[in-house]
Amino acid sequence: MTSAKRATDDDAVLDVTDLHVEFDTHGGVVKAVRGASFSVGSGKTLAIVGESGCGKSVSVQSIMGLVPMPPGRITSGVARFDGVDIIRQKIVNGEDVRGNRIGMIFQDPMSALNPTMRVGDQIAETLQVHRGLSKREAFARAVEVLAMTHIPEAEARAKQYPFAFSGGMLQRAMVAMAIACEPDVLIADEPTTALDVTIQAQILNLLEELQSKTGMAIVLITHDLAVVARMADSVSVMYAGEIVESGSVDDVFYRSAHPYTLGLKAAMPRHTTSRATGLQPIEGAPPDLFHPPAGCGYFARCPRAMRLCESQGPVRFEVGHEHHAMCWLHHPDAPRGADDLHRGAPE
Amino acid sequence: MSETPRFSAADFEAAAVDRQLQAVSRPSLSYWQDSWRRLKQNRRAFASLGMLVALGVLTLAGPFVWRLDPAAQDVNQISQAPSFPPSALIVDPYTAWSGVTAEPTRMGDVVTGLHLAEAATTQAVRLAWEPVVGAAGYVVYRSVYDQAPDRALGLPVGEVVGADRVSFEDRLDLEPRRYWYAVVVMDENRAEVENYAALVVDAVRTVSVEEAGLRGWVQDVSTLTPGDRIGLPYHPLGTDYLGRDMLARLLYGARVSLFIGVVAPLLFVLAGVVYGSAAGFMGGRVDQVLMRFADFVIALPFLLFMILFKVTFGIGPGESGVFPMLVALVLLGWPSTARLVRGQILQIRQEGYVSASQLLGARTGYLVFRHMIPQTMGVILVTLTFAVPSAIFTEAFLSFIGMGVAPPTPSWGSMANEGIRTMLSHPHELLFPAVIISVTVLAFNLLGDGLRDALDVRMRGSE
Amino acid sequence: MLAYTFKRILQGIITVWFIATVTFIAMHAVPGDPLANERATTEQIRLNLEQRYGLDRPVSEQYLVFIGGILRGDFGISFTQENRRVNDIIRENFPVSATLGILAVTFAALGGILMGALTALFRNRLPDFVIMFLVILGISVPSFVVAALSQLVLVDINASLGFSLLPVAGWGTLRHMIVPSMVLGLGTMAYLTRLMRSSMLEITSSDFIRTARAKGLPPARIFLKHQLRNAILPVVTVLGPAIAAITTGGFVVELVFAIPGLGRYFVEAVQQLDYTVIMGTTVFYGAFLVSMVIVVDLLYGWIDPRVRLE
Repeated sequence: MTSAKRATDDDAVLDVTDLHVEFDTHGGVVKAVRGASFSVGSGKTLAIVGESGCGKSVSVQSIMGLVPMPPGRITSGVARFDGVDIIRQKIVNGEDVRGNRIGMIFQDPMSALNPTMRVGDQIAETLQVHRGLSKREAFARAVEVLAMTHIPEAEARAKQYPFAFSGGMLQRAMVAMAIACEPDVLIADEPTTALDVTIQAQILNLLEELQSKTGMAIVLITHDLAVVARMADSVSVMYAGEIVESGSVDDVFYRSAHPYTLGLKAAMPRHTTSRATGLQPIEGAPPDLFHPPAGCGYFARCPRAMRLCESQGPVRFEVGHEHHAMCWLHHPDAPRGADDLHRGAPE
Repeated sequence: MSETPRFSAADFEAAAVDRQLQAVSRPSLSYWQDSWRRLKQNRRAFASLGMLVALGVLTLAGPFVWRLDPAAQDVNQISQAPSFPPSALIVDPYTAWSGVTAEPTRMGDVVTGLHLAEAATTQAVRLAWEPVVGAAGYVVYRSVYDQAPDRALGLPVGEVVGADRVSFEDRLDLEPRRYWYAVVVMDENRAEVENYAALVVDAVRTVSVEEAGLRGWVQDVSTLTPGDRIGLPYHPLGTDYLGRDMLARLLYGARVSLFIGVVAPLLFVLAGVVYGSAAGFMGGRVDQVLMRFADFVIALPFLLFMILFKVTFGIGPGESGVFPMLVALVLLGWPSTARLVRGQILQIRQEGYVSASQLLGARTGYLVFRHMIPQTMGVILVTLTFAVPSAIFTEAFLSFIGMGVAPPTPSWGSMANEGIRTMLSHPHELLFPAVIISVTVLAFNLLGDGLRDALDVRMRGSE
Repeated sequence: MLAYTFKRILQGIITVWFIATVTFIAMHAVPGDPLANERATTEQIRLNLEQRYGLDRPVSEQYLVFIGGILRGDFGISFTQENRRVNDIIRENFPVSATLGILAVTFAALGGILMGALTALFRNRLPDFVIMFLVILGISVPSFVVAALSQLVLVDINASLGFSLLPVAGWGTLRHMIVPSMVLGLGTMAYLTRLMRSSMLEITSSDFIRTARAKGLPPARIFLKHQLRNAILPVVTVLGPAIAAITTGGFVVELVFAIPGLGRYFVEAVQQLDYTVIMGTTVFYGAFLVSMVIVVDLLYGWIDPRVRLE
């Protein structure tokens, strides 16, 4: 097993490599994203999962040009979409990509829509701007798109204002807004976090249905492993600004190769959890990103940490077919304990 | 494809079990400490705070240090601009001047050689010149501005008949300032010619020994001899149109303006807090009724009622008019604070931490003092800081239109009012009160801004 | 929307009644005899005057007469100028004040919104600093000082130009109206600029602007349809009280610029203790302000759809 540089996946619709994002604050520079790489193929769903503050939202928002630049800064990285690096390409020109070929939905639909504009108009806007439709044509099409999201009485709804919608309906409206121009990629930044479980299921169903109809790729940001298990084809686990493990959903779930992933799985309450078994949180807190640790970001909380891990940042190891983990435990010389960490085939 | 780095065997040993979980990097600060820190970082606000503290000290201590009576009139220095300490030269008492005569030898329409026969003093300005043939006489003009640009010769102070009388003594209301004199020839027909001769004269203040005593500038006149210099009462910021010392008036006026400007808001904010908290707490019908009443009071046209109250309560002569103004401000100012506080209380009641506290068994009193009041304090403080400049403005405004404090009590507003009348000739009378009002109001506004940012809960924890 | 309007109008009427009552109480609480400084020399003349003004009736009856008069729109006869009806005084002088006030409000609102939007657009660059500096001056310098100074400057300008660019005082033509309304509106404009600026800044970092950007909309469109439209709301809310402030500030401007408006009349009436004029003007102004506030509230309801359903 060698540490491998991941070859760029040519089938990928969106391919991000070695992204570094930092922020200038009064207290110093925060390194929010420290070398993240991920990609998603056409018609597939990539889930980026991690706890709050790990940098998952910042990653996707920065490549979409939604992070204010000051105080933010992309210090390195390439985001290849349709052969073009959309980071290098000036954000202003990213307009034909944003909203048009890459759509995005956000976490809290209540605050993510303009309260003084009719919902239908907000959907129609993208069509007017990107497709050059007239106001009337755009509105008609907007009603169609809204109907596609299974909102009852779409036409009447389109003429209403956001405050008249419930949370779930608003999220559907946001989805309609994002897919109106038939994008190649839909980025969903914690779309279900603010919704209750039944609505969650409906929204996820909707996304799956749209994906099978249009063949668009989905990048799904979430902290909920259940959502990941349900929706994703591939998973990238993010911690403290780095992708610590990535691979197919089966690989990452059943053949977890990083102690953090194992910790996440263990922390999930199951139907077998009882007062007797108790909950198993991961002790401690994520590192301070003003002064990121020199070694592995997970060192302070990792039950399998080695001396090496404190001072040396681990490299990516290939532990299976398109399955990678950033952990020194995969070093050829590392001890192999009897634990549930998947090691891959020995050399 | 990089090589997998190699390590020693020791590196792969398990790390020490009791490794330190990463220490919390920043010390924990209370809400008030954090706010104070952020306020200090805001330079403008902090400077304003300093300035206001200095103003407060000046207001309280000033009149003890600068002991001039703001109502005392120094008739010798009316509308005096700010200057260095004035002095006067002691001279012999006035004696009449015989003047100068000379035979005209030269032709022409303008005199030559216009000069001062002696040093010009406030006792007399004595001019002399060379005569002109054919002149029936000469007219002497005096102006306090330079005549040249507009040929505005100024005040005719005298006429001399006869071509050979070539001098003039001016004793008319002389002040220690610069004058522009012009002498115009009168031709045979006693008409004035176009041309004139000009002379710039700086009159020096002089008094006789006796006058010095009469005017109270020196206690014991026996010590004086001509040639001595005595100092006059010094008005560093000048005097107003009645000769009152500007600095003393500003200091006393500060007391009046700031008293109203700070005490009134304190009172009505307090009233508003009590009223608003009561409404917010009790909720339901009581809240509705209380707020309805507050809305009515807000709807009263502020200025009209201020004036009405003033008329109703404060016509007595000899009163300063401060108290009615205070009452009016308080009576009309409390509702907006009440609404604000009530809104805050209602909002806080719904907050999660209040319910959590209640679940943990907190009683109402504890909730109020430990949770609600600190939350509202921020809003209250900011309201207070913005209410003060508003009150100062209102007071200045009312005094300006004559509805404020009664003379001779000084207030910044009434001083500005009086200063407007002499704005063109003596701008300092308007300038000082206007500037100090503006600076004070500005300082309060900046401080209010800074406080609002510093106390903003959402920014807490940010560097 | 209709029900909302009715409710507000009803509230307004009650408020005006409240104002009238408080005014009445205040005036009758004034110590001293209203006719004391009159030329009422003989007892007979005094009695006549008392009868004329209804002062010989009991207070409660006077109150009813007063309220009745208001309902009919009749404010009675001036105390100091016995031949003039208060109504006439108001009718002659109010349009002047109203024009001045409306011009000032328009100037303040348009200027404030425009400048506030500009500072947000050019945030932390030169236009921002310049405008904010002017704003701070605007809220710190008292209006009467501004009025006096502007006259001074105008005199200078006229003198150096050789002709009168703008009149320094008086009223009558459009040119007369420019400077006084600008001076009157200045303080409010400064305040509105600040408000607009902070509103814009808050909106700019809000979620729905992020969504608008994610939709790839051109910046101009985002600025106009998303930022401006929402940022204006707090400014409109404040317009009601702003109108009140401008109306009262009008007194000073009228005094300084010698404008024959109702404000100047009111101040004179107060100084001369002309009771009917004082009461009539107060109630009239109160009614005017209340209706302005209602208009603004309705305007706000039209702009912000969230309010309409209340």
